[in-house]
Amino acid sequence: MTATATPPVKKSSLFGKEELKVIKDPLWDSNPIAFQILGICSSLAVTTRLDKALVMGIGVTLVTALSNVMISCIRNFIPNKIRIIVQLVIVSGVVIVFDQFLRAYMFDLSKQLSVFVGLIITNCIVMGRLEAYAMGNPPWRSFLDGIGNGLGYMWILAVVGTIREIFGSGKLLGMQVIPDSMYAAGYVNNGLMVLAPGAFLLLGVIVWIQRSISGYSEK
Amino acid sequence: MNTSSNGYVMGFAIGVCVVISATLAVTANSLKPIQDEAAEFDRQKNVMMAAGLVIDGDTRSIDELKKLYVDRVKEVVVNTKTGEVLQGESQKEAAQRNKDAAAAEKDDKSAATRFRVAATTTDANGKLEAVVLPISGKGLWSTIYGYLALESDLEHVRGVTFYKHGETPGLGGECENPVWCAQWKGKSILDDQKKLVGIVVKKGKVDPAIPTEKAHKVDGLSGATITCTGITNFVKADLTAFESYLVGLRK
Repeated sequence: MTATATPPVKKSSLFGKEELKVIKDPLWDSNPIAFQILGICSSLAVTTRLDKALVMGIGVTLVTALSNVMISCIRNFIPNKIRIIVQLVIVSGVVIVFDQFLRAYMFDLSKQLSVFVGLIITNCIVMGRLEAYAMGNPPWRSFLDGIGNGLGYMWILAVVGTIREIFGSGKLLGMQVIPDSMYAAGYVNNGLMVLAPGAFLLLGVIVWIQRSISGYSEK
Repeated sequence: MNTSSNGYVMGFAIGVCVVISATLAVTANSLKPIQDEAAEFDRQKNVMMAAGLVIDGDTRSIDELKKLYVDRVKEVVVNTKTGEVLQGESQKEAAQRNKDAAAAEKDDKSAATRFRVAATTTDANGKLEAVVLPISGKGLWSTIYGYLALESDLEHVRGVTFYKHGETPGLGGECENPVWCAQWKGKSILDDQKKLVGIVVKKGKVDPAIPTEKAHKVDGLSGATITCTGITNFVKADLTAFESYLVGLRK
């Protein structure tokens, strides 16, 4: 990260002003969930536990970044008539590869994530970034844009996942965090947090907080 | 270059498809052994979960669990026609025997699944603790695989797991929910006359006021009637298949 501290020399530097903006914007100002309201369905489904949320976040980040790069590399050759289906084929390919790796090295998690890994293909963030960014920008910047948007998605999932796991099952990453003495004193886990509506409420609150800080309002 | 001509579009589409499918084929093939190993460990873990040796969300390491499996679980190949146990044989030999039996007795449909691998578990002192039977059959979309563990009295259910299926997540897929599986514990597979009745997944909730319901039925999964009926049927069928083995053990 040393490159970030030095001022940009040339326009084409690896981490110039433009490049930094591309990766930082989606983390806050144009966050895919809080600002663009994309990828909501998966963020409701896979946030019951923090580890699931993190793996899903990593998956979306990798898929967005890699497919952004690939599409950006061939952007000038893709016939306009079939560009959406070409994007879909590439996204599906990357997602299936990711799924195969999960099945080999994280079998339990892949069973729990079940269909949601496959559904990354239809995650609006991935297609949205391909259409809006990768089709018109060079590979390196598209890669950063993918990473930025993926991370922007991931940190919101992680926040929701943390809150849901702590209050829904009294654990964090599978470890007990709420002491037994609290349960003995009459504390009960919040059932709403385990269910999808709980995540919906949380997301709403996060969008509200994010927008009141960033000062954005719908016109 | 004219990128909107039909020839170019066709060529481009074919090119993209070939490259992507080659990538997928290479990935899937090279990861297959590791995936099979992971699936095999998952199966072993489910045998132990049914038998109550491992609980859901167990924090023990993979090596510890593998050692536990070696120490406490013994796999046995059972000839479900005669109830005879084939000593010293494993899954591989059972598969070969099934193949041979199916080829030899073409008109007997049950021959292809005659030799099945059950498991017995022992407690820390080597005393029989549970008999774990493989159960599988059709749900709504897919074949469901699971394990049913019986207590050492060979009558009451010790635990059940369903570990491989393609049912709808949230509906039929809830069959793998540990909370739902927990209510199987203590149910009886035999009626008062010691006749096999199996376990029935009821549509709706079990009425504890009716003794036969309380003894043999579990709550249904809402929105998954066909999955539940499937489970009821194949549990009964598999218990029937293993009956001669169980009768032999009871003696």
